[in-house]
Amino acid sequence: MISPKLKRTFIAWALLAPLVVVTLFPFAVMFLTAVKPAQEVLTPSWWPSEFRWRNFYDMWVAAGFGQALVNSLRVSLIATIGAILVSIPAAYAMSRFRFAGHGAFRHFLLVSQMISPIVLVLGLFRLLASFGLVESLNAVGGVYMAFNIAFTVWMLQSYFDTIPRDLEEASWMEGGSRWLTLRKVFLPLCVPAIAVTAIFTFINAWNEFVVALTMLRSQESYTLPIQVFSLVAGRYTVEWHYVMAATLVATVPVAILFVWLQRYLVRGLALGAVK
Amino acid sequence: MHNRALPYLLTLPSLILAAVVIFWPVVDLIQIATHDVSRFGQLRDFNGVANFSALVADPDFIKALLRTGVWTAAVVGGALLVSIPVAVILNTDFYGRSVARVIVMLPWAVSLTMTAIVWRWALNGESGMLNSALRGLGLADQNIQWLASAATAFPMQIMIGILVTVPFTTTIFLGGLSSIPDDLYEAAALEGAGPVQQFKRITFPLLKPFVNIAIVLNTIYVFNSFPIIWVMTQGGPANSTDILVTHLYKLAFRVGKLGEASAVSLVMLAILLVFTAIYIRLAMRGERA
Repeated sequence: MISPKLKRTFIAWALLAPLVVVTLFPFAVMFLTAVKPAQEVLTPSWWPSEFRWRNFYDMWVAAGFGQALVNSLRVSLIATIGAILVSIPAAYAMSRFRFAGHGAFRHFLLVSQMISPIVLVLGLFRLLASFGLVESLNAVGGVYMAFNIAFTVWMLQSYFDTIPRDLEEASWMEGGSRWLTLRKVFLPLCVPAIAVTAIFTFINAWNEFVVALTMLRSQESYTLPIQVFSLVAGRYTVEWHYVMAATLVATVPVAILFVWLQRYLVRGLALGAVK
Repeated sequence: MHNRALPYLLTLPSLILAAVVIFWPVVDLIQIATHDVSRFGQLRDFNGVANFSALVADPDFIKALLRTGVWTAAVVGGALLVSIPVAVILNTDFYGRSVARVIVMLPWAVSLTMTAIVWRWALNGESGMLNSALRGLGLADQNIQWLASAATAFPMQIMIGILVTVPFTTTIFLGGLSSIPDDLYEAAALEGAGPVQQFKRITFPLLKPFVNIAIVLNTIYVFNSFPIIWVMTQGGPANSTDILVTHLYKLAFRVGKLGEASAVSLVMLAILLVFTAIYIRLAMRGERA
């Protein structure tokens, strides 16, 4: 006798199977190529004759991974810290004050979230160039920061709105100033929300492609996506086992973080949209 | 005794930053688009809409525009067709559901650049693992040069576009499904409605606002999406997989036709604003309800 749940399980997995196969296929390609011995990469076999873990070690040097990793960390941290510091006050004001322009600011955030850097990339390039900031990692971090502000304010505000005002009001009653209340009562309650928002901003910056491709012109300043792309584009011989090892190392930690926190992202966006 | 200026002071820095990276480039693009401009960006004479007429007369632009329409419609539509059933399945209770959810969400967690690089290798004509898989399964008897012609490259890019759009879309629908009370289904089942009828009469109508939001947001994202096509084919071979964003990038940074590139940017911006206006109307309707 098959229980209804078991039956549902068979049907569900059977229906999901095609999607699961197509989704996992690139991960299999990435992993299996990354551990293949160099001379087997171009042979059309799936399974490597041995798992060459040394590829990861060799890739670090051959693919210039270390420098690109440092660059990626730098731009992502600038973007994250900057965007969060600027967005907390804005989100607090949006959540706790009613003021003229409140609705207009919200609309402005929505609209600016829709504009992707690619549409403005020529203007952005000229903006940075006019200040002599092409090649500057700090400037790229600044551009990421500015483009993420709409997202961070939106996310933070939707979390701030869920924190009951009673606690702050109680603190005011007892004579606490707004600043003291903010520091001792409000912000500690928001730490998880701020952390989650910060991590998503970090991931956004970590994964960004077109601004980095346009602004960073020499290998010393490449971020990871550009560095890996440069190993593939316009080359006659591509060392695919190194490229796949590099994509794997650049991708997996961030992917785990993302999958783990994904439901908070959904909750935050949904809170903002539905409330 | 609230300080009336306080909320403005608190929002000002974010407003200024966001405005600088948007308004400065937009104003600059308007200037370039309406002037004769050298490859190095020196503005010469005002030339009105000459750059726009040059675009309209350029068959590559028209083709890229039409292809962008196909790309956006196919990816958004495909993602919708896949995501609704996937969300309905993931919303039922079965063994391994959390594993299934993680797998479905995986493509969202990887940067588009890296996804496109892996596919570029997987689709390699000589030693790509898709060809070896297809041959191993007996589905193909010779290697297919996937990226060598638009006839195979572009559908593949659309497929990858769909694959990376499904997680976000499914997530929106899961949110929608969880807002539908179970008693509705119980009542319907009591009245003798089968699963298909339940979907048609309950699930789909109640999911509709979420479908609308997903369509508009995905349209905006896909319309703007650059890495998949740029990394896999750079719009090639012979511009045959160019969409507006790759065409724009080539005009600006390869060919140095800054005037036309700015004109493309402004055309795209106008299209985006229309979509955004639709989105705001949908979102605000939800907010009022």
